[in-house]
Amino acid sequence: MSMIREIAKNKYLYALALPGLLFLIVFAYVPMAGHLIAFKQYRLADGIWGSKWVGFDNFKFFFMSSDWYKVTFNTIFLNGLFIVCGLGLALLLAIFLNEIRSMLFKKIAQSFVFMPYFISWLVVSMMVFAFLNTTEGILNRTLIANGLDGQNWYLKPGIWPAILTIIYVWKFAGYYSIIFLAAITGISGDYYESARIDGATRFQQIVHITIPLIRNVLIVLALLGIGRIFYGDFGMIYGIVGDTAPLYPTTDVIDTYSYRALRQLGDFSKSSAVIMYQSVMGLVTIMIFNAIARKIDKDSSLF
Amino acid sequence: MESSIQHVRSGKAIKVKTDRSLSEKVFVVFIYAFSGAFALACFLPFWLVFINSFAKESAIKVHGYQLIPKEFSLNAYQYVLHGKQIASSYLVSTTVTVVGTVLAVLITAMYAYVLAHPKVKYRNVLSFLTYFTMIFGAGLVGFYILIANWLHLKDSLWALILPYMLNPFFAFIMVSFFRTLPYEINEAATVDGANDLRIFFRIILPISKPVIATVGLFYALQYWNDFFLALLFIDNYKLHPLQMMIRQLISNINMSAYVGGSQTTYTQPLPTYGVQLATVCLTIGPIIFLYPFIQRFFVKGITIGALKG
Repeated sequence: MSMIREIAKNKYLYALALPGLLFLIVFAYVPMAGHLIAFKQYRLADGIWGSKWVGFDNFKFFFMSSDWYKVTFNTIFLNGLFIVCGLGLALLLAIFLNEIRSMLFKKIAQSFVFMPYFISWLVVSMMVFAFLNTTEGILNRTLIANGLDGQNWYLKPGIWPAILTIIYVWKFAGYYSIIFLAAITGISGDYYESARIDGATRFQQIVHITIPLIRNVLIVLALLGIGRIFYGDFGMIYGIVGDTAPLYPTTDVIDTYSYRALRQLGDFSKSSAVIMYQSVMGLVTIMIFNAIARKIDKDSSLF
Repeated sequence: MESSIQHVRSGKAIKVKTDRSLSEKVFVVFIYAFSGAFALACFLPFWLVFINSFAKESAIKVHGYQLIPKEFSLNAYQYVLHGKQIASSYLVSTTVTVVGTVLAVLITAMYAYVLAHPKVKYRNVLSFLTYFTMIFGAGLVGFYILIANWLHLKDSLWALILPYMLNPFFAFIMVSFFRTLPYEINEAATVDGANDLRIFFRIILPISKPVIATVGLFYALQYWNDFFLALLFIDNYKLHPLQMMIRQLISNINMSAYVGGSQTTYTQPLPTYGVQLATVCLTIGPIIFLYPFIQRFFVKGITIGALKG
């Protein structure tokens, strides 16, 4: 009763929330029924409810193959590289940009480093291709011009974690550096003033004032990344690697793997088992790291 | 720090009494070199795509991609712009972006306002329902079945619009903005007899322009750049957005029929690289064109988010 009274009292407010709430129910909660398929042998004609229960068979199938280890490792390894290198370089860039006194230089540099954030992964993929393709690519042309041999980069899985990390840093360092810069700008000038009076060099000021005072921002961003470490960036990996099978050993992440299982093999049940594994692992990860964050520093935890 | 900036502005930077040691100077040079090199590396791919889209196809084939092409040609653009695909893809992308952004901003703002409203008893329940979707996803299979089999939205533009209409992350950015608004506004309007709908649309929305602009840009960018939804749900090439057109050009199958429309026949050989690069330029054109404006709002929005969230 009290619920109805509350809703009646604020009917206009709840009416405002209704479209958003409906959206969440339809597009976020209803599809969760898809997790059931992981325990069924899904057939389109029978639908989710009518298909036969098979218990954990789909999971067994996934875990028995070497695939589960490969895609899990790739997902975590690549995301780990992205978080460490991406945030590290962004932090460096923000600190450096903050030290630059020429406003014109700073403005132009900032505009350039932020630009890659705005373009789609397919455009990035085209740019990558311009650099790496075997015959017309800039890298091979440069190598050959210097008397070295060109390589077929799209057949060499070993170097792709490095390539993808470079691409990630290129695309996101500017974006993260703006978040860091916002935090740095918030630091009171008094600290630097008194440090200068004490004779601290610029480098010492960075190490002893700037970095400790934006530590929390760094922790929050790292936690946001780690919390999603089981989720590969589908747009990035599929946009750049696409269906280049020779690169799968080092670039295939859980998201691209389940996508292919669904769209190319049409195996709903297998794909669903993989996704359920991912969702559960993702949930567990975020719980663990949030608890750790709360232990270290109460302000840094996410919830 | 402020004082030294003042000095730079008044042109007396060098005169400020500083006893910079050598290592200090090296450090400053390093900072400029590093930032400058990184900025150039960020810009270079844009330049290469832009300038080589005007290169003669044979020049690319012989010399590879060049910083400044040996021979220029407008061939690629003529080819792309004559075809039917670019026009229909542009129309699809623009429609999806405009309709999607307007609806998404409206729904998100309405929802976030309620989440931030102290009068709403169940706002924490709503917040949790929203937050939970960020940490436990439905996953691809359920999502695919929902759109394709239950809502029957395959090969419909709604499949490109509806799924992105409420992004929990953007909603929480708006919530933190609405929380900063003084509640007295609300009370004063209530005393004057305005109901909550009126308060929201007549008072709250107009004073929330900064956050609406920022979140709107986030949504617009997401709609414009997305290819995931089109990849899943659009098979009819007439409904391909620009991003799908690029993807199609990368996979390179039957390019001339795809770009031109099946009836068109060309006498010249197809400038494959040129067509790809020209299409990329036409796709990122609006973003680059609006970039100064976009950049300002994004920096503002990210700064709000970083300090509050």
